[in-house]
Amino acid sequence: MILLIFALFVTVIVSLNVGYAQISFTDILTILGKRIPFLNGLVDSSIVKPAAESIILQIRLPRILAGVLVGAALAASGVLYQGVFKNPMADSYVLGVSAGAAVGASFSILFGVSSIVFGLRLVQVAAFLGALFAMFLVYNISRVGSRVPVATLLLCGIAVNFFLFAVVGLMEVIAGDELHAIVFWLVGGFSNVLWRDIWAVLPFILFGIVAAYFYARDLNLLAMGEDTAQHLGVNVERAKQRILVLASLITGAAVSISGLIGFVGLMIPHVTRLVIGPDHRILFPTSAIIGAIFLVVCDDLARVVATPFASTLELPVGIITMLFGAPFFILLFKKKKQSYAL
Amino acid sequence: MVASLVLLNVDGVECRYGSVKVLEDVSLAVKEGDFVGILGPNGSGKTTLLKSISRILKPHKGVILLNKADIYSLKGMEVAKQLAVVPQDSAIGFSFAALDVVLMGRNPHMTRFQMESAKDMAIARKVMNLTNTWNLAERPINELSGGEKQRVIIARALAQEPKILLLDEPVTHLDIINQLEIMDLVQGLCVKEGLIVLAVFHDLNLAARYCTSAILLKNGRIFSAGSLDDVLTSENIKDVFRVDAIVQKHFVTNSLYVIPLSPPKSPSSKKCSIHLICGAGTGTALMKVLLDEGYSVTAGVLNVLDTDFETAQFLKIPVTTEAPFSPITEKTHKANLTMISKASTVVLTSVPFGYGNLQNLEATRGALERGIPTFVIEEVPIERRDFTQGKAKALLTELKSKGAVFVKNQNELLSLLNVSEEKLKLAKEEETAKILDHLKPEEIPKESNITDKGEKT
Repeated sequence: MILLIFALFVTVIVSLNVGYAQISFTDILTILGKRIPFLNGLVDSSIVKPAAESIILQIRLPRILAGVLVGAALAASGVLYQGVFKNPMADSYVLGVSAGAAVGASFSILFGVSSIVFGLRLVQVAAFLGALFAMFLVYNISRVGSRVPVATLLLCGIAVNFFLFAVVGLMEVIAGDELHAIVFWLVGGFSNVLWRDIWAVLPFILFGIVAAYFYARDLNLLAMGEDTAQHLGVNVERAKQRILVLASLITGAAVSISGLIGFVGLMIPHVTRLVIGPDHRILFPTSAIIGAIFLVVCDDLARVVATPFASTLELPVGIITMLFGAPFFILLFKKKKQSYAL
Repeated sequence: MVASLVLLNVDGVECRYGSVKVLEDVSLAVKEGDFVGILGPNGSGKTTLLKSISRILKPHKGVILLNKADIYSLKGMEVAKQLAVVPQDSAIGFSFAALDVVLMGRNPHMTRFQMESAKDMAIARKVMNLTNTWNLAERPINELSGGEKQRVIIARALAQEPKILLLDEPVTHLDIINQLEIMDLVQGLCVKEGLIVLAVFHDLNLAARYCTSAILLKNGRIFSAGSLDDVLTSENIKDVFRVDAIVQKHFVTNSLYVIPLSPPKSPSSKKCSIHLICGAGTGTALMKVLLDEGYSVTAGVLNVLDTDFETAQFLKIPVTTEAPFSPITEKTHKANLTMISKASTVVLTSVPFGYGNLQNLEATRGALERGIPTFVIEEVPIERRDFTQGKAKALLTELKSKGAVFVKNQNELLSLLNVSEEKLKLAKEEETAKILDHLKPEEIPKESNITDKGEKT
């Protein structure tokens, strides 16, 4: 675990070096060092150009931190969804959460892209609210008496998911000039992330992940079956409800700054489970860190891969995650599938 | 340590799925050390009863009290400290190691922020040793065989250190030795530590062997409850399971054992009535088979207490009897011949012959002399079962010469009997056909006649 946190740190530093403008590692460490209390006296920053400093601090660092946050959030919520549903195909798409965010975002793009609410871009707020709204909708539709059976939850989620994406499709048709903006949001990316966005979602994601961690043992017990979990003392309905709310909160916050990024929420939990086993008390935090590393690396690739062809061209990170993540997963799966029973 | 008395009361419970009542007015009271079997056919509400006791399905009426507190008003963790469940089948989502699965049984004893302590580990190890699963500790649960998995699940239930254990067909997936080991273990906990066990069984013999009492459910109601001797009677089994069964105390285990008899295949009765000449158990299987095939069966001469006699009694087959361990007297021999003359077929089984039952061979000869078709089953050569210095052999040879049909086994006999049955039928039909033929020219008019003139007088 400590090794992984260190790996994440290294990834962040290396990623700061990646980009069109060449900035050396010494400069990066100097710039960062200057910002750390107590250490800044020891750092001589005179050798660093102010332009480099502003590229690192104002452009690259927020973007990388957004990658860390979103990657961790998506992977963590993936673990939560898969745990509650006992279903390896579950992720934020299943409950319609992603679709809800997409509807919110598309809607706000169509009707006033530049509006600011509470100092945040309307797109983000709308995406976040859309995600939570979709989750509550699905949860309440699938309630049977006081229980919410997983099977109905999955079915309602998938139905709502299709319905909401149809709404997105409708908006794309009538979008006209805004079509590009909607499509760009749907594939996801970090090119416009500012510090302001980081501070806005950080509390939600941090709170969500920390709170959900307390349900790690309940998730283990839920994997034994809901009746058995109940027999072992878990308040199944309450645990399910809280885990799903937290997962949707995390997802909603993440996609509000990144747009829809596929694959991370679905595959990172699997990859992690292949390596370290199914115990959620370890799986959950490990997946979050691996998700963070994975998404930051993918974003680096998104920034660099296309540069030889056109210096300003950048691929959406959502394409990279799927393009490189899927073959990697298949390789790993083929190697270890004997010991991996779902 | 003074253990407080643990009690479980089920009081007037009614459960429904939608509008369908699956349990109605079910009450029972169990105390420490009770091992209660829940018996009944499929759909009689056994599993539902366990579900309502284990807080999965809240009853619509009635209450379930654990130490006088309503189980549905208690906290889940509180109940889980006292009550553990081994479900019918466990689908486990991810490939947890067996040890991790067992440690999950410690959940009710931990707070949300605790990790498993050394004590939890020690308990897990103890129960895994008890259930013979410690060697599987590191294996992923999904790779275990059905039996191994079930033993791990039982270990998990024991890790809860429960006062009450609910088992839903706990050993159905296990082989015999594992069944006995697990049930012995559970019984031991009952006796030594006062564990309460409520177990659903399909295997009545297993229930008979381990339970101290039982309840028998039929259509969601308690049909019979109490000691096994009261509950497991052939009358109750007939009423609830609609199956004839022999219920006896086994001389080795001293527990009741139940032998269900397969229901008759075709109740359509056949014309043949068969008299069996048997003894020493050689006719037992045949009696049941012939009855199932629809024949009417008689037997004799049989000594009272002979296995074949007991079977005949059970199957309500008329028998000519002789006193126990006594040779056949002239009087019973005559009675037997009278019975034989009423039969349409006689069958002689490969019974051993001594001076005591040699007359049964003479009775067989009597059947042939009366012109009754006679079959002799010769599964064991006569040399090996003749204890009369060749007298029996000589008689058997005589039977052959007089036209007795020798068959190797029961199956051959049955097919030959079927053929003769068919012949009988054909003969009857031919006769009828002949009569019809004779009638035809006079009685049945030509078609034109009907159409032209309609009815003919």
